[in-house]
Amino acid sequence: MNDNNPPPIPPAYNPPGPPGSPNTPRALGDDPQDTVSITGPLSAIEAILRHPRRIIYQLRQPGAGHIVFALLLIAVAFSLVYGVVVGTFSLGAQLWAAPVKIAAGLVISALLCLPSLYIFSCLSGSQARLAEVVGLIAGLLALMTVLLIGFAPVAWVFSQSTESLAAMGALHLVFWIIATYFGVRFLATGFAHLSGKPGGLRVWVVIFLLVMAQMTTTLRPLVGTSEAFLQTEKKFFVKHWIEQLEKPNATLPTQR
Amino acid sequence: MRAIGLSFRAELPGLLRGDRGRESVEHAELRRWLLYLAVIVVGAGLFGAAVGSWRAPLQSLYTAIKLPLILLLTSLGNGLLNAMLAPLLGVNLSLRQSLLAVLMSFTIAAAILGAFSPLLYFLIWNTPPLAADATTNASAHSLVLLCETGIIAFAGIAANVRLWQLLRELSASAGAARKVLFAWLAGNLLLGSQLAWNLRPFVGSPHLEVEFLRPNAFEGNFFEAVLGHATNLLSF
Repeated sequence: MNDNNPPPIPPAYNPPGPPGSPNTPRALGDDPQDTVSITGPLSAIEAILRHPRRIIYQLRQPGAGHIVFALLLIAVAFSLVYGVVVGTFSLGAQLWAAPVKIAAGLVISALLCLPSLYIFSCLSGSQARLAEVVGLIAGLLALMTVLLIGFAPVAWVFSQSTESLAAMGALHLVFWIIATYFGVRFLATGFAHLSGKPGGLRVWVVIFLLVMAQMTTTLRPLVGTSEAFLQTEKKFFVKHWIEQLEKPNATLPTQR
Repeated sequence: MRAIGLSFRAELPGLLRGDRGRESVEHAELRRWLLYLAVIVVGAGLFGAAVGSWRAPLQSLYTAIKLPLILLLTSLGNGLLNAMLAPLLGVNLSLRQSLLAVLMSFTIAAAILGAFSPLLYFLIWNTPPLAADATTNASAHSLVLLCETGIIAFAGIAANVRLWQLLRELSASAGAARKVLFAWLAGNLLLGSQLAWNLRPFVGSPHLEVEFLRPNAFEGNFFEAVLGHATNLLSF
């Protein structure tokens, strides 16, 4: 007889159940925290970080325009601030060019992708109004930029320490990917509450990532320097990124 | 205008969700017709403008006119045939109802095309000009064409899924609905592909002038051209 203790029985897997089952997320408004009103940008930042359901609930209430405005304001203001940090690598004109490009790039990407997100949400059976979809995208951008601000001191320290364009570009890319992951998670939570199926949303997220990635090439240079505000040569982002990586010891030419 | 605006806000999302089909076919008021026409003209027009913008601004305008025209002419040209096929195959629809059902599916497709047109325009804006050396930009050329094809395929599939759901609601059996759908699809493919052949170019060739119709627009047909290409391919 084997007298060893038997291995512990793993907990049973509980797949998401039908409405009303213990695994179904609680309906919006069931938690008293959901209904706490959002009074301004600071309140919106706190809500999107600590209690995103509060934002989603408030977006479904009449007069949610001020919340959407607050979220957009956060996204634009924080992307400008992060842009200044990006610009400190090259200094000079990049101190104003990088913030403008990053803020504009984020907003334009969202605008380009907004109609397709609304179409995907309708096709997947969601009852979301266009205003709610706009609110969710604004929330995604706001959460992304709030997280980027969290990364900003780290980015600044690196930008003062290294002279490698490729290394700085890669670092900002990593921060952008992490921020986007959490932003997309907020968006998915919002869609789950709007009764949409996730299939269309997954496709849309891929499109949104590709558009934002391409925007880094369309609005180049974001990290390095250039004589012109924008480059006229048309390129796809993969080609541009590979070219940057292949440049031997790509560093800043003058200031550093 | 206000009434149409209100209708638009409720009707289009409902069509996309698939919960307005039966109501739209059974209550065919003028406002609904106008709404469908407007969505087809604007949605397919925006997509056409993006497709043509790769060649030249004038080509963009021409394609913006021609793409909605193909959808409208196809539904009108096949209207009578579709209305005859539906009862023959087991779905009892009037001429007006069958025409509206096909228009509804084209409206869904046009709405999707319109929603993707900013993305396509952004892609084309980032692509080297069509007039440049074709060999160096072969991958970009292929990417744009693949994206255009993918978007059109997605719009077509989504529109036909909704049309299938509508026919299923209106018919007694799934078999009859399927037969009608495939019969309509075959007719629309036949006429639509020929109209597209007649109204070419849509993207435009960098080696040819920008023009609304080719001088030989009404010579030959789509299927002859496909056969010719297939023969060339097999005979090396």
